[in-house]
Amino acid sequence: MGQSLLQMNTIFISIIIEALPFIVLGVLISAIIQMFVTEEMIAKVMPANRFLSIAFGTGIGALFPACECGIVPITERLVRKNVPLYAAIAFMLTGPIINPVVIFSTFVAFGDSWKMALLRCGLAIFTAVLTAIAISYLFNENQLREFVDQKLHHHGHHHEEQPLRFREKITGVIDHAIDEFFSVGKFLVFGGLISSAMQTFFRTSTLLQLGHTKATAILIMMLLAFIMSICSEADAFIASSFNGMFGTPAILAFLVFGAMVDIKNLLMMLHSFKKKFVFSMIGLIILFVFTGTLIL
Amino acid sequence: MLRFIVLFGFAYFFMKLHATGDISKYINMKYSYLSFSMIFAMGFLSLYQLVKWVKAGNKGQENSHVHHHHHGHLHEQDENTWYKKVFTYGMILIPIVTGIFLPVATLNSTVVKAKGFHFSMIDNDKDQYANHQILRPNSSLYYDQNQYAEMESSDLKKYSKLSHIVLDDNHYFHGLETIYNYPGSFIGKKVTIEGFVYRTKDIKPNQLFVLRFGIIHCIADAGVYGMLVDFPDDMKGLKENTWIEVEGQLDTTYYTPFKENIPYLKVTSYKKINEPKDPYVYRQYN
Repeated sequence: MGQSLLQMNTIFISIIIEALPFIVLGVLISAIIQMFVTEEMIAKVMPANRFLSIAFGTGIGALFPACECGIVPITERLVRKNVPLYAAIAFMLTGPIINPVVIFSTFVAFGDSWKMALLRCGLAIFTAVLTAIAISYLFNENQLREFVDQKLHHHGHHHEEQPLRFREKITGVIDHAIDEFFSVGKFLVFGGLISSAMQTFFRTSTLLQLGHTKATAILIMMLLAFIMSICSEADAFIASSFNGMFGTPAILAFLVFGAMVDIKNLLMMLHSFKKKFVFSMIGLIILFVFTGTLIL
Repeated sequence: MLRFIVLFGFAYFFMKLHATGDISKYINMKYSYLSFSMIFAMGFLSLYQLVKWVKAGNKGQENSHVHHHHHGHLHEQDENTWYKKVFTYGMILIPIVTGIFLPVATLNSTVVKAKGFHFSMIDNDKDQYANHQILRPNSSLYYDQNQYAEMESSDLKKYSKLSHIVLDDNHYFHGLETIYNYPGSFIGKKVTIEGFVYRTKDIKPNQLFVLRFGIIHCIADAGVYGMLVDFPDDMKGLKENTWIEVEGQLDTTYYTPFKENIPYLKVTSYKKINEPKDPYVYRQYN
């Protein structure tokens, strides 16, 4: 037992050490960009056509290397600034995946291989575009929760009215980065503990039985991704440690679904959007990720 | 203050890993610059946090957590109650504490087994006390510590003297175990190994494993042992379970699934051979 605990700790620490630089890089870049790029800029350049705007929303995530929880408030403000709901959702779903930090970390985590990184991007775009198109036909209004409007008035957005001085912006960036580091870090630790424990204490045969068919393996990994709530900048390292226990489709489902929906960002989405909308969207995402990985 | 401790703890931890060289036991060294830069990034952030805390203290504020940015992040609500604070900081402190104070364990077969090697003999064995090893033979369980250390050093002496190590039936276990225990002492040496071809999902097209089923002590610990070999060309044409004999130069490589550096052979020549009458290899006790 003692030996296994030490082994679990070794796996756990190696996941943390590998993932941490990407988290720090991610929180710094996202803090910088959120300070200097405003939602107005995006709202202004958003095309009017339904499909063009979805394509635009999908692509622009690269500009916001935020993880899945950081992106929800941005999405909310985009919708508030009259960006069409479906385009904002396309942005929300791809933002945490189609960005340089996440792509690089996925590349490193899977032993310098582009395969997983590219598959991850491909499936993310597939899922986001289909979900956004479905939403554009299902929901007409903006689906924001009304009382949020009032809350925001108190919360204040005063840097938009009176621009911060550069020095204040810099300290703002660092403060923001540290805040985010702590809120994201605990989920990484939590996820790292679960995956290292599973690898140390579960017998392979148990896991192989669980993941016996492709479909159950995919569903298990999606559920794990939802529970672990690991930031998309770091989740590739957790996912790669499951490599060998589960096949590529299941790992891919973990990487894509986890970056779009997890416990943490579910709470945030419910805070911003109407319940019915949030759950129908999650239903769509589950459907598309599942079928997408199944046909792979 | 807590934040300073955490950030500083990480800076110290990364520094310790690099200073002692333990970092190579955890990560792929190709990207060591990432974790190396963490020493400075974390150092800077902790300094920043310390200055901020001292300033806030001077102004007589109890709470150093001042929000003067406005991106409506719900993160800010994460730490507003004591139990959430305990959870956040408690969680983040775990890796710092266990990382600094617990020794590094090398992965043994129980973990290795979960990493892409599948053999029906092993996967279907329901005996939970069975000890099936993969790739790296480890006989330390069958000796007491002193005995094992003595044997290790005499084996090391014996094999490091040779310029060409032939891992035949007589030397398979002792030679292989010594190479896995002290890969550094054998880098550049000529090694010959025979076994059947096996592939896992995570190796390159020009790589394969040369393995043999082996028994250290009794059938309950029958395992699969061998080495990763690296050919100059694509070896996709060589079927699994073909028996081959390869000769090559020893080197080490970081093998991601094990999260460990393992020895491997850069093949200089190989030939197909017939499967031996007894495919099992047995450990010699002398």
